Amino acid sequence: MAQYDIIVIGSGINSLVAASIIAKAGKKVLVLEAREKIGGLASTNEFAPGFQCNAIYDTLKWIDPRIIKELQIQSQGLELIEMDIKRIALGEKENKHIIFHKDPLLTSDSIADHSREDSKKWIDFTTHIEKLTKFLEKLYQLAPPSLPDIGLLDALSMRSLLGPLMGQGPQGLVNLARTAPMMMPELMDEWFENELLRSALSTAGTHGLSYGPYASGTGYNFLHQHLHSKGIIHNSSSVKGGTGAFPAILNNILSSNNADVRTRVKVTSINIKNNVCEGVTTLEGEEILSNQVISGLDPQSTFINLVGNQNLDPSFHTQIKNIKYRGSTARIHFALKDMPKIEGVNEDQMNTVFSISPSMEYLEKASDAVKYGFISENPYVEFSIPSTVNPEFSPDGKHVLTASVQYAPYHLSDSDWDQSSKEQLKQNTIQVLEKKIPDITKLIENSVVHSPKDLEDEFGLTEGNLNHGEMTLDQLLFMRPTASSSQYSTPFKNLFLCGPGTHPGGGLHGMNGYNAAKKVLKG
Amino acid sequence: MPSINKYDAIVIGGGHNGLTAAAYLSRAGKKVLVLERRHVLGGAAVTEEVFPGFKFSVCSYVVSLMKPNVMRELMLPKFGLELLPLESTFTPLDGDYLMRTADGDQTYREIARHSKKDAEAYKRFGPLMGQIGMAVRPILETIAPNALRPSLSDMLAAKRLLDHFKTLSNEQFEYLTKLMTMSSADFLDEWFEFEPLKSTMSASGIIGTFMGPRSPGSAYVMLHHYMGDIDGAFRAWGFQRGGTGEVSMAIARSAEHFGATIMTEASVKNVIVKNGRATGVALENGDEYISDMVISGLDPKLSFLKMVEEKELPSDFVRSIKNFRIRGSSGKVNLALDGLPDFTCLPGEGHHHRGAISISPDFDYLENAYDDAKYGNFSKRPFMDIILPSVLDPEMAPPGKHVMSCFVQYAPYNLKGGWDDNKREAFGDAVVNALARYAPNIKDIILHRQVLTPADLEDTFGLTEGNIFHGELTVQQLFSLRPAVKWADYTTPIKNYFQCGSGTHPGGGITGSPGEMAAKKILGIH
Amino acid sequence: MSYKNQFHAETQLKLSPFFDRTSVLNESQEWRRWSGYLSATNYELNHENEYFAIRTKAALLDITPLYKYLIEGPDSQKFLHRLVTRNINICKVGQVMYTPWCDEKGKVIDDGTVQRLSDHKFRITSAEPNLEWLEHNSVGMDLAISDDSSTTAALALQGPNSRDILNAVAKETLDDLKFFWMKNTRFGDIPVSISRTGYTGDLGYEIWMDPSDALLVWDMLIEKGKPYGITPTGLQALDISRIEAGLILLDVDYISSRHALIESRKSSPFELGLGWSVKMKKDNFIGKRALEKELKNGPEWEFVGIEIEWAQLEKHYRKAGLAPGLPSTAWRTSTPLYSGSEQVGYATSGAWSPILKRYIALAHIKNGYSKEGTVLDFELKVEHFRKLTPAKVVKTPFFDPERKRSCPA
Ligand SMILES: Cc1cc2nc3c(=O)[nH]c(=O)nc-3n(C[C@H](O)[C@H](O)[C@H](O)COP(=O)(O)OP(=O)(O)OC[C@H]3O[C@@H](n4cnc5c(N)ncnc54)[C@H](O)[C@@H]3O)c2cc1C
Repeated sequence: MAQYDIIVIGSGINSLVAASIIAKAGKKVLVLEAREKIGGLASTNEFAPGFQCNAIYDTLKWIDPRIIKELQIQSQGLELIEMDIKRIALGEKENKHIIFHKDPLLTSDSIADHSREDSKKWIDFTTHIEKLTKFLEKLYQLAPPSLPDIGLLDALSMRSLLGPLMGQGPQGLVNLARTAPMMMPELMDEWFENELLRSALSTAGTHGLSYGPYASGTGYNFLHQHLHSKGIIHNSSSVKGGTGAFPAILNNILSSNNADVRTRVKVTSINIKNNVCEGVTTLEGEEILSNQVISGLDPQSTFINLVGNQNLDPSFHTQIKNIKYRGSTARIHFALKDMPKIEGVNEDQMNTVFSISPSMEYLEKASDAVKYGFISENPYVEFSIPSTVNPEFSPDGKHVLTASVQYAPYHLSDSDWDQSSKEQLKQNTIQVLEKKIPDITKLIENSVVHSPKDLEDEFGLTEGNLNHGEMTLDQLLFMRPTASSSQYSTPFKNLFLCGPGTHPGGGLHGMNGYNAAKKVLKG
Repeated sequence: MPSINKYDAIVIGGGHNGLTAAAYLSRAGKKVLVLERRHVLGGAAVTEEVFPGFKFSVCSYVVSLMKPNVMRELMLPKFGLELLPLESTFTPLDGDYLMRTADGDQTYREIARHSKKDAEAYKRFGPLMGQIGMAVRPILETIAPNALRPSLSDMLAAKRLLDHFKTLSNEQFEYLTKLMTMSSADFLDEWFEFEPLKSTMSASGIIGTFMGPRSPGSAYVMLHHYMGDIDGAFRAWGFQRGGTGEVSMAIARSAEHFGATIMTEASVKNVIVKNGRATGVALENGDEYISDMVISGLDPKLSFLKMVEEKELPSDFVRSIKNFRIRGSSGKVNLALDGLPDFTCLPGEGHHHRGAISISPDFDYLENAYDDAKYGNFSKRPFMDIILPSVLDPEMAPPGKHVMSCFVQYAPYNLKGGWDDNKREAFGDAVVNALARYAPNIKDIILHRQVLTPADLEDTFGLTEGNIFHGELTVQQLFSLRPAVKWADYTTPIKNYFQCGSGTHPGGGITGSPGEMAAKKILGIH
Repeated sequence: MSYKNQFHAETQLKLSPFFDRTSVLNESQEWRRWSGYLSATNYELNHENEYFAIRTKAALLDITPLYKYLIEGPDSQKFLHRLVTRNINICKVGQVMYTPWCDEKGKVIDDGTVQRLSDHKFRITSAEPNLEWLEHNSVGMDLAISDDSSTTAALALQGPNSRDILNAVAKETLDDLKFFWMKNTRFGDIPVSISRTGYTGDLGYEIWMDPSDALLVWDMLIEKGKPYGITPTGLQALDISRIEAGLILLDVDYISSRHALIESRKSSPFELGLGWSVKMKKDNFIGKRALEKELKNGPEWEFVGIEIEWAQLEKHYRKAGLAPGLPSTAWRTSTPLYSGSEQVGYATSGAWSPILKRYIALAHIKNGYSKEGTVLDFELKVEHFRKLTPAKVVKTPFFDPERKRSCPA
């Protein structure tokens, strides 16, 4: 007899969303988390005595609106802090920055300091992007069709797609088809001339990828980062209490729906018999039976590590093996003695996200490192000071600065991710930061570097990829995670997937979990 | 009033596509005039005796993508089309080499010397790519439908294609998706482990393309090069006897046979447009010719931004054409040699001189070459695809001497500081040095050297930015989007003005396809 | 009258370690490619003597070109058990099993023998290279796979006298070696393994050795075999005898599913007459689910023997004013088979059986037309014109002598 209707492996946002939706539907749910805390990539941790940090995400780009509605997470206490300034792209010379405001007119004004021409096009650009993302938003809410069983025609004529399609006419689809495979310089060439602006926008296209802006498909990633942003470029918001507050709220929802959440339970095997999933076994040897299992882990961990090669059909095994991960983003958390000063930035503007990428060429050069297995000499650094939003992150007067650094490839060609490579990454990062915060070294009281390898070890992320698989065009939609398992189901009966390795990919939006839950409930 | 200067159709440009369109239209009974700017026909498919006694396929050098039905319908074999097979691909390495030949056993054994698994996978890879190539063919052979306002026949064509796609197996569909989106390196990594094999195969994904083998999108270009056939043998590359120009000449002879008039040294200044209709052309020398229609075999930038005035065109179309990506990234070095290059890794004369020689020892080599170009320099150690035409066709060079054709990647059009004579020669030196690493005798046997930079390709051959395909072969510039949405079916916003160059569907290479399909569209066949 | 062979051509083909002998013996200088090796088509100008050596004396064949892999390690049994359709768990040390292996859709990739050399060591032979497939399916298992193709040379000694010859050469008697078992022994000082296997359907053995011993082994066999009529034999004679034995040949009777470009070219074991080798009770093996389904619905095709009826065939020739002319060698051209006006199958290889004096072939027949005794129409070309002539579905093997399996009491 099964002890549970559903076991959910992992407790990242998608797992918790899936578990919550299913528990709310009256099923008996068990969530198993290997770490001592739930939340996965959404967790908030203490990294130095008295200092806390958001493990991976300092801000949230968007949450699936269906989740907000159905789980009522806001009335449950999720408080999103909407900043007026979404991001400041730090300029190289004269300390002229571009400030991305919520209000596009203000952004346009800021751009005008750099280029009149570009400033004039800004509003058109934001509308253009908004139209494109509208279409994607619809697409994301569907389980992708499994092609070509359904056939392209049926896929394209999927009913709910027709709405936004008709709304914009075929031009919308054509624009999307043109933009998705673009590389950022192509998209930028069509709009802007100012290098700082071009590169500041390109960073959204390269976000989380192992590629630089000159890679085709970065156009798509740019759109992905702007879903539900209503045309607000670089839109994001912070979570009151740290990103970890989001999983905490989902946890509350779970407990009020009689779900069990167990931490420090590492699943070591998903048990398959005659191609049917029957439950899981834990590190302690405990065998837990359930009618269905949903894995929030990445495909490599789910299938190779937990299901086991011997249970995989050879071609499915090939597909899983061929998924590209290539985590290339590192996180560095600095404990600071004082609030850093950035020339040209007011004190009340410190609660936003900063990016340092003076030109597209700079960004591209940083990415070359991945190809050859080096750490970028001049990395792209994106940082924020979460203690400005959540003062409890640091002791009084002190602050936390967290940098996301690209590119720090998982595979280094001539060394491992040992202390010295991490030190090198930190120094490279500090030297970039120094250009904007000259006294940064003096401010640093403590720091911790999370290389992709560390992320792999800590969160079980294959190759440290935050998206559970690169967000490249060949790994999207009906190809995500593989052509034969793209609808949250797997080749195994009663085993499902809900992590970012599924459509529509990574981020703290919870959409994968939601879609997966609906699929499971539909049976 | 009848005038001798009045034609049914005028074709601008005597490139092989312009000639193909002219031949088809003449064949249908139209009175056709072809106007070519240069003193020779062929455009980028041209043979010239650059140095006395030494004949060169100056630009394009191998033929595989030429459409079989064009060969038949225009009776090209009768007019001089003779394709000799290239036997092998040889990749010299430091101290070793990789050679692939037409024989399965030999190739298996040679690859197995480096990796047994690869040798097995190779046997499966070729046929699979052939299948995918076949699967794509119907797309290439369909006039690209108007995606914005499809006509009934557009819808029918789209329906036929969709039906066709439903017949593909899941596996084929998956691979096709991957080929449309991945980098050639990633695609090949899924199959093979021996790097020189992968890097050499990936090289067809960077030819004429401003991308590295690790750039997503390069796999499609690789597929583009897998779609040809010679004598029914898929993916085989051949050499035209007498040089590539003879392909163009065969088409020209065919066109003349059907009654076309061909003029060289007749540079068109602009298309004459009256009330939104093309009515003829004006030459640089002031001559004017009147016709019912004008067909441009030039690239989209020239066809629309130079041949006609912007005000004649809708602004969104002008914007699309301006946004059309046409970055040049290739150069060509043609050498007249006193003997054959002697490779350190495989000394003496041998089979390897009869095929393609690829300087592509590993991915990093190619990526380094790309990085140079990305930041505005020519590659210090470039990728090269080399053939020795005189080994296959002794008439290309004086007895005992040889000609060597080196296609070189990368030479960016937008070189930092611009191209000049010194830079051209420095580029030529880089090519010779890269060769000398594997065939040290090369420096001693060079009699003459012709170096073509992208700027030269633009100046001499009228290829904007020196792009060899009249526009990059990226997914967003294919099919219904080539060169611009709504106008991918060879028509243009100007009535009676058509396009038939490589900047239209299905793109560049010696295919004859755009020319043929444009003519068929005009004639209402299809 | 014979001429001394003076060819000294460079070849791009591999040469077997026996080539020093076979090249001198090959009077016809007819060679064929086999897995990239130069292999004798026949040694004499005509294959007939070689064929009869297989059936009445002893034939010696160089089978080195077979692909061979060694699988060694604690998981090797588990691995092979999952790989192939037969039950490897019951394969004892010294035992050999013939088996196909499939992809996950239950379509045959290749067929060959699995030899259990020790508890944790096996050798598997195949017609095509299979290293990639073996390695792919053993990821994460505790075993090592090595390509043994060129590190082990092999000879087949086939025919009624083969046991006597081996008994004269080997240190130990072969009398107790049962069909599909093997043993290690010595020829003089030379270690060899001998399996009682073959591709002729007759009494016969295959001898496995280190390539450096190849020539010595050859010489010893030829010398001791002379009184028993040992005959170096080429592939043409082999082809006839394997058809008589009803044994399939990859790329002739079926196409490996790894190389088939279209689905319809692939075959399941059931469709190749190998249903007996599919052990459905096994907990799991690659292709099992698909085969289960196929078993439920019945396979689409069957693989059968057919006999082309002589009297009718003769009539066709007589009408043309000819005596029946059949190819003296085995053929491999796919030939249609009809039932009424509908084509219901095709024969993939066939031969006139000199020992049975029957015209036989192996054929793929649609389920429903494959029952023994069913009479179909076989397409025959007589003087450039197509004729239909009756052919009957019969049991295979066509030729199955007692001696193949029996041991001297
Ligand atoms: C260096 C190089 C190597 C290549 N290698 C290969 C290869 O090996 N294999 C292959 O298949 N493809 C190759 N290609 C690509 C292939 O050659 C081209 O895609 C193809 O030849 C283009 O043919 P086209 O007729 O469309 O245009 P073009 O050949 O460019 O023809 C355009 C013609 O218009 C003429 N023209 C320009 N302006 C005017 C004017 N104002 N008035 C009148 N005439 C004008 C030009 O002189 C030219 O003759 C190569 C190209 C280059 C440049």
